Amino acid sequence: MARRACLILGLLSFLFLGAGTELKAQDAQAIVQAGFDYWRGKASVATVEMVIHRPDWNRPMTIKAWTKGQSESIFFVIAPSKDKGNGTLKRGKEMWTYNPKVNRVIKVPPSMMSQSWMGSDFSNDDLAKSDSILDDYTHTLVGTETHEGKKVYVIKSMPKPTAPVVWGMQQLKIREDHILLQEEFYDEDLELVKAMTGSQIQMMGGKLFPTVWRMQKADVEDEYTELTYLELEFKDDLPDNLFTLTNLRNPRQ
Amino acid sequence: MFFQLGWRNIWRNRRRTLVILTAVVIGVWSMIFLSSLMRGVADQFVSNGIKTLTGHIQVHHTGYREDPVVENSIKNPAGVEAVLTAVLPPEAQWAPRVRVNAVASNARHSTGITMVGIDPSREAGVSFIGEAITEGRYLKSDDPYGIVVGKALVKKFETKVGRKLVLMSQDTEGETASRAFRIVGVYRAEMQATEKQFAFVSMPAAQQMLNLSHGISEVAVLLAEHGQAMQVANTLRAELSADEYEVNTWQELLPMGSAIMKIYDWFIFIWFLVVFIAMGFGIVNTTLMAVFERVREFGLLKALGMKPWWIVKEVLIESFCLLILGMVIGNAAGFVSVLAISRTGIDLSALAAGMEYWGMSRVIYPHILGQDVMMANLVVFILGLVVSLYPAIKASRFTPVEALAHT
Repeated sequence: MARRACLILGLLSFLFLGAGTELKAQDAQAIVQAGFDYWRGKASVATVEMVIHRPDWNRPMTIKAWTKGQSESIFFVIAPSKDKGNGTLKRGKEMWTYNPKVNRVIKVPPSMMSQSWMGSDFSNDDLAKSDSILDDYTHTLVGTETHEGKKVYVIKSMPKPTAPVVWGMQQLKIREDHILLQEEFYDEDLELVKAMTGSQIQMMGGKLFPTVWRMQKADVEDEYTELTYLELEFKDDLPDNLFTLTNLRNPRQ
Repeated sequence: MFFQLGWRNIWRNRRRTLVILTAVVIGVWSMIFLSSLMRGVADQFVSNGIKTLTGHIQVHHTGYREDPVVENSIKNPAGVEAVLTAVLPPEAQWAPRVRVNAVASNARHSTGITMVGIDPSREAGVSFIGEAITEGRYLKSDDPYGIVVGKALVKKFETKVGRKLVLMSQDTEGETASRAFRIVGVYRAEMQATEKQFAFVSMPAAQQMLNLSHGISEVAVLLAEHGQAMQVANTLRAELSADEYEVNTWQELLPMGSAIMKIYDWFIFIWFLVVFIAMGFGIVNTTLMAVFERVREFGLLKALGMKPWWIVKEVLIESFCLLILGMVIGNAAGFVSVLAISRTGIDLSALAAGMEYWGMSRVIYPHILGQDVMMANLVVFILGLVVSLYPAIKASRFTPVEALAHT
């Protein structure tokens, strides 16, 4: 009798444990999905100041950006006037850039994907494959921290075996109110390559949002690119014709 | 009689003869040795080129050579393959390939490479890759995610066997195609540039990635000898429709290789002349000296009734003996030294970077060509005799009276 009870107990606990890990994976997936949904909203219009910082110089740039859903976005440089009109359109995994000086729309070829985007610490790939974190990785919750009195989920994301991503691992920190605090990129030796960190969480566009984003490579001290949101507005929808090559060439907004 | 006379005459001044003999020996030796080295360099240049995915003959879809993109691939290779099987000589090997430019990247590095989709067993018979694997393993015919890369690339990318490499290229629709591969093997090649350029994946993997179904970029053919290429290419051209296929021989595919061979032909010839001119002055000088020393002797010979022509003949035979002796020793020395280094070659790895710029290998193996040896000996022999004519004619012009009065 005692033995049977033991067995049942064992079985039950096994079931629960199994269910527990299952739940955890789903949880992590859900947390990430919710975090990215929250970050992007349904659609958004933003004005961002981007500063490329190097030991000897700073290059500020003001960018106006529209995003819609998970994979459509278009941005234009609006200042300084030297770079004004430079635009980037992203649809799915394809990217185009427009340079007003040569009046040409160029589709970013695979060979340029890993090059930096407009001289910053972001690569074209960072923009083009920004959704890959949702599709190409399996997420597990590895721990929690606290940030400003709120719980923060630390999530380890391992690429699926056949996913065409270069990273060996990504680590995400997402606060319980869905705010993405940090995204770290590791190589296959699980050494940090670069990290994107959000800070200065403020009310913006009707919700709490980290208004400063910094992308920094791990092996250099004083070099980073910082994005500061100047304006941000979340919308329910944006017209489809905003995200077109025509609009990239002749911006209407 | 003339021979006896000449032979004895050259040994009358033993030291002088030995000095000029040394000059001839060194001249002949350097001609043979250096020409064999140059031939070695040129040969290796060409055979490297042929082994590095060129082969003796290549068949492409028309337009591929001008614009090597996926759109210009051979959509249905069955026809070409049937022709190849039917037409090629039995000892020839051939291999189909998918070849596109791609970008390889991992977390820290990214570079442009050439992705080559191969049929591993066929490819091994045609290019260097079959026996070049130094770490890990060679590809299997249906490896879905295996990739074989060069040592230099592995070093540059700070990666190793078992690690991931993401390749990006453009597929047939013009869309970005990317695929994650795992490094299963590492190869070494003669040149670092090769190691950095080519990454090998299995044919199905490449076709799937590029959305090519059964298409291929090229077929490379390796024949038993370099020389057959032209003739076999012509038969292939006759069998394959010219609108659809282009057939090229290695001479056309490696214009640099054929150019280098031609340049070296002339280079060697000029080298021979330069060496000979230095040597020729020595010969003239020595013979002239030997003649002027013996003015009285020649006068006496003439007085005794020797015809001028006989004197010319006698002096020429002296030169002849010298030249033949020098050539025999020089040739022997040349062959011996070539033989001595032929096994190990001359290792230039210390200068590898500079040598690679010229597309040369790390190790140079000399290659003796019959025509070079013939040419060297002919140049020395004929020109040697021609320059000796001057002192010989001089000797024949002495008049007995003046000569005998000469002190």
